[in-house]
Amino acid sequence: MRARLTTLSMVGPALVLFVVMLVVPVGLSIYLSLTDWDGYSANPAFIGLKNYVNLTHSAEAIRAGWVTLLIAAVGTVLLSVLGLGFALLVNGASRLNAFFRIVLFYPHVLSALVVGFLWSAVLGTSGVVNGWLTSKGSAVLPFLSDPKWALASLIAVLVWAGFGVNVVLYLAGLQTVPKDLLEAARIDGATKRQTFFNVTLPALAPVVTVNLVLSLVTLLKTYDLVVSLTGGGPAGSTQTAAYLILWDSFHNNALGFGSAQSVVLMVITAGLALTVARLRARADQGASA
Amino acid sequence: MARSIRRTPGIALLTSVAFLVGAAGCGGGFSDTKGAAGDSTGEVRMLVNITPNLTKSYWEGLVKPFEDANPGVDVKIEAPTGSGVKDTLPQLLAAGNAPDVVETLMADRVLAPQMLDLTDQAWTKDTPLVDQAKLDGKVYTVGVGQQAQSLVFYNKDAFAKAGISAPPKDLDELTADMGKLKAAGYLPLQTAGDYVTGLQLMQLSDPSIATKYPDWFQQVNSKQLKLGDTLLPLLDRYESWIRNGYVDKNALGLKDVGAQTNFLSGKAGMYIMGSWFVRSADDAKPTFDLGVFAAPTEKGQPSPGPQGVTMAAPYMVLKSTKQRDLAVKLVQFLATDKAAVQSQLSQDGNFRKGYTEKLSPLGKQVQDILDQAPKGVAQGEGYGASTLPSGFNGEWNKAVQSLYTGKSAKDVAARMDSWLGSKS
Repeated sequence: MRARLTTLSMVGPALVLFVVMLVVPVGLSIYLSLTDWDGYSANPAFIGLKNYVNLTHSAEAIRAGWVTLLIAAVGTVLLSVLGLGFALLVNGASRLNAFFRIVLFYPHVLSALVVGFLWSAVLGTSGVVNGWLTSKGSAVLPFLSDPKWALASLIAVLVWAGFGVNVVLYLAGLQTVPKDLLEAARIDGATKRQTFFNVTLPALAPVVTVNLVLSLVTLLKTYDLVVSLTGGGPAGSTQTAAYLILWDSFHNNALGFGSAQSVVLMVITAGLALTVARLRARADQGASA
Repeated sequence: MARSIRRTPGIALLTSVAFLVGAAGCGGGFSDTKGAAGDSTGEVRMLVNITPNLTKSYWEGLVKPFEDANPGVDVKIEAPTGSGVKDTLPQLLAAGNAPDVVETLMADRVLAPQMLDLTDQAWTKDTPLVDQAKLDGKVYTVGVGQQAQSLVFYNKDAFAKAGISAPPKDLDELTADMGKLKAAGYLPLQTAGDYVTGLQLMQLSDPSIATKYPDWFQQVNSKQLKLGDTLLPLLDRYESWIRNGYVDKNALGLKDVGAQTNFLSGKAGMYIMGSWFVRSADDAKPTFDLGVFAAPTEKGQPSPGPQGVTMAAPYMVLKSTKQRDLAVKLVQFLATDKAAVQSQLSQDGNFRKGYTEKLSPLGKQVQDILDQAPKGVAQGEGYGASTLPSGFNGEWNKAVQSLYTGKSAKDVAARMDSWLGSKS
């Protein structure tokens, strides 16, 4: 009994926080998603699944969903590949590598809003790059003014701002690669490429999974960079799901509809993250069998 | 809080909403009273817009004379905790922590039930646009000044070089002048992405729409008029401007500040913007002669037409206030005290009849336009009885921008009809 009370006293605060900060908000947002609420009126009107039905008819929400998935898919791959590539480059103890690690991590320290404003000054129609091109007599490049270019620019800046974390995680993972295996591969005459694919990469598998899930979840919630870099434009082409949720909730006074979008985004995010983790676990089981 | 909402919208939005709803249950945020009269002393909380020029210390200085004249009264200036007043107010309301006075927003069908009816306050009658902002005949919002919206700022030197002797009176003349400006080596009309693209076309269109359809907002809302049909002629014209290179096809990659800089550096002939641009233009001291004219009307209609105007520095008193008398007195001070009004007008580039002393030459031209306009009409999403469903401005902006990305004027008109249909 005493042991139980001790356990409860230790777990209790965390449990209360978990319920208050996660379970209750999620429950309430699911409830709000079933209402027509403008954010002001006293009693949100219960409308059942109408918000979800409207969501399936909303061309804007569907487009924002696809944009978000595209950003998440392309961004996750780029973050992982670049993160691992740079981690391999700066792996090892030297002063120069320590300097490069700081440089690589630096963009992640900046606020996403600052990053957006910074890059809009570089890529905008009157930005640094186009100013230089114009001075050389070349045509302006539509980094932020053409829908496809703007989406590509957004993904590129997201990757620039985010891959520092991946580098750090991969660097930590690289320290866990068994040195005796690397040594054995070297003695056996394996090339660097063979050593990487047959020794290093399998040993990094858990880190790869963590990086994939983290990148995926982060990119599915892309919001602040959209605000400061493209404003969702041109013509709504870079509107992400998170951007649209905030826009509908507060600019359009449709908190019920915004909550429905939040719930769907949450389910998709959780679903994708779990799928990646499951696939990794299955691959591990297959490898050990 | 705003930071967490931005970073983790899915969860954080839910968290905040949950807190708010939970708090509302015990806080009684949605009061249905008419506000308690309160004591003659105490604290009045005012939620205001904070910008680079409307800083917190500016607001504190603005209300200081009121505090000095009312010993024991403390006006507490509150900055938005969200990204702006619009998303902060519902959070505060739901948390049962609503301010007494709110600045920036205007009453609409959603907000009005939370606001105090000021109709019986005689002093409101002399405040700008008070009648136009009425909702069901009731005064909820009072303002300090006006923002003229349908203005075209222009480079007089460029016009002279292009052989244009007088500003255009109708849209055919405007289009012809654009051709002349282009031939003279200027970008005829400076625009930008962000919110600017749609706003400019709406600002330009308002006088024509208001002349052609005096009750445009009401008729569109009641489906007597098809929204797309009323906008199509203007969209057709704008499409032709894009086709002819009268606007920069890459302008959507610019923000408002970049567009202003381009125009003020003398590269463009015209820039459509609200009267707040006067302050930026005066500060920039352009090397060319800068002028402004009222937005031309469609061919055959009198010019100048009605001027698109919005209320500058609008104030409302929350119905839930426990300091009703002090809150109303504070708003009266802010909207009627000569020094307070003058300060707010000059600080944010706003206008009000009778306050011309401190205007720059460009500002005087804007005041002349306002004085000569046959009437002021609601702009864009509108206000008072002239209001379109929430979200019109954003949808319109995206729709106009899609003209740059390959959609036709007819596509855009159909998109606006479809959007309005989804709101009913």
